Amino acid sequence: MPRAVTTRRKAATTLIAWTIGLLIFFPILWTVLTSFKSESDAIAIPPKFLNFDWTLANYVTVQERSNYFRHFWNSVVISFGSTLIGLVIAIPAAWSMAFVPGRRTRDILMWMLSTKMLPAVGVLVPIYLLARDTGLLDTRILLVGVLTLINLPIIVWMLYTYFREIPGEILEAARMDGAGLRAEIIHALTPMAIPGIASTLLLNVILAWNEAFWTLNLTAARSAPLTAFIASYSSPEGLFYAKLSAASTMAIAPILILGWFSQKQLVRGLTFGAVK
Amino acid sequence: MSTKASRTAARLMISPAVILLLGWMIVPLSMTLYFSFLRYNLLMPGMESWAGFENYHYFFTDPAFMAALRNTLALVGGVLTITVIGGILIALLLDQPFWGQGIVRLLVLAPFFVMPTVSALVWKNMFMNPVNGVFAWLARSVGLQPYDFLTHAPLASIIGIVAWQWLPFAALILLTALQSLNSEQMEAAEMDGAGPLARFWFITLPHLARAITVVILIQTIFLLSIFAEILVTTNGGPGTASTNLTFLVYMQSLLQFDVGLGSAGGVVAIILANIVAIFLMRMIGKNLDA
Repeated sequence: MPRAVTTRRKAATTLIAWTIGLLIFFPILWTVLTSFKSESDAIAIPPKFLNFDWTLANYVTVQERSNYFRHFWNSVVISFGSTLIGLVIAIPAAWSMAFVPGRRTRDILMWMLSTKMLPAVGVLVPIYLLARDTGLLDTRILLVGVLTLINLPIIVWMLYTYFREIPGEILEAARMDGAGLRAEIIHALTPMAIPGIASTLLLNVILAWNEAFWTLNLTAARSAPLTAFIASYSSPEGLFYAKLSAASTMAIAPILILGWFSQKQLVRGLTFGAVK
Repeated sequence: MSTKASRTAARLMISPAVILLLGWMIVPLSMTLYFSFLRYNLLMPGMESWAGFENYHYFFTDPAFMAALRNTLALVGGVLTITVIGGILIALLLDQPFWGQGIVRLLVLAPFFVMPTVSALVWKNMFMNPVNGVFAWLARSVGLQPYDFLTHAPLASIIGIVAWQWLPFAALILLTALQSLNSEQMEAAEMDGAGPLARFWFITLPHLARAITVVILIQTIFLLSIFAEILVTTNGGPGTASTNLTFLVYMQSLLQFDVGLGSAGGVVAIILANIVAIFLMRMIGKNLDA
């Protein structure tokens, strides 16, 4: 039961909470604002908040000069590709571990998670050399493969925690009615599993979109996703704040919106069900 | 009750995931281990020869290793301290009733979705730049000399940037844990005359202990392998002032092409990460039984 709170106290909390929220959000807000400025307005002293000539020129420049959409498309292919392939491999595994647990299920789950603890840099050299020798360096296929494998344990785990909450009686009932394994999956399980699968998909697309170790080390101009494309702004030439901001805004906007929608599932997903 | 047929089916359904992960683990790991005992430089192909523990000896006696180890610990420790303390404070604040709770939650959460290269470059250029940055303007407007963050305090600056990215994660998880706190217990304590601090210390904090542990362990895994933020801001410098273990191994293997040395560093990084992993696995394992 919520306790009674005085209006004055609520007003004070509102003020503090909004101040802190806006301070934390400010770098993002500032980036978005700067992306609509001219380069000279972007470095004006004192800084211009809203009193500048709004322009879309930076967005046009970023696209024309560096073919932004190719990198955007690389990001889409890599993050969705790796997540979808991961789901295809993980759904049967998680399903069977949740509904037909054996003696070793627990060990398998823990072992899968342990592969996630493997620091990427520990296998950087062999993966790089294997990619070079097979001619896969700087291809999207390589990135899809690598990200599928590094996120597979998370996908299995998330699905497992969702599937485990589906009551087993429903399956029993379906079996009593003589439903085969296929019918069981299609009619009884799928409808109940879809929300969990959707959250898993969302969270993994976010993780893959922002992955910045393998994407930086295994790509060059051709298959670079947005993480690597933005990194090319680390050696600036001339005035570039507004262009950097425009590129950054386009890189983070889609995933920020997806992330806001998935915030409810985020906690349990990222803590493997340890905090709900 | 599962039948024999469904058990066989279950095994078939698990095997693709298991085989793939097994391959992903065994193949590159054994290659790293093997390379770490070789004299192997990409600039001298065909000159590979057995080196024994030479690479390890070189890696451990390289002054950069001690620096990288210190920096790794400072980076992990610094970010954890800021995010856990800040996360608790923000969670306590957001747990209070106020107008616009939903929106403030979204504002606080936002940095977590910003890709590492974007957040590092935005902070580096638009905030920390000693000439055109927002901080330089703030300093000048109160009559102070602007501070060149990434030159004079590179590691602290990177800690700040990374902490900004991870603060939302800690705050959100702690807030979720806080919301499951039994309010009757709180009210009873209040009636017995326990002050806010006492209530926080004896009821809230113990309740949060598990969530705090989870935050610390999960963040540690990610923080041990911070890479992009260093690459685009300082490139590990000046000198080795902001080089962590991940970055050191990257430099040795992909910039100096010393596969043997880089692999030895990789093995060391794996061992360090495993020490952390053991604790995390125990925590999550307990949850499985629950």
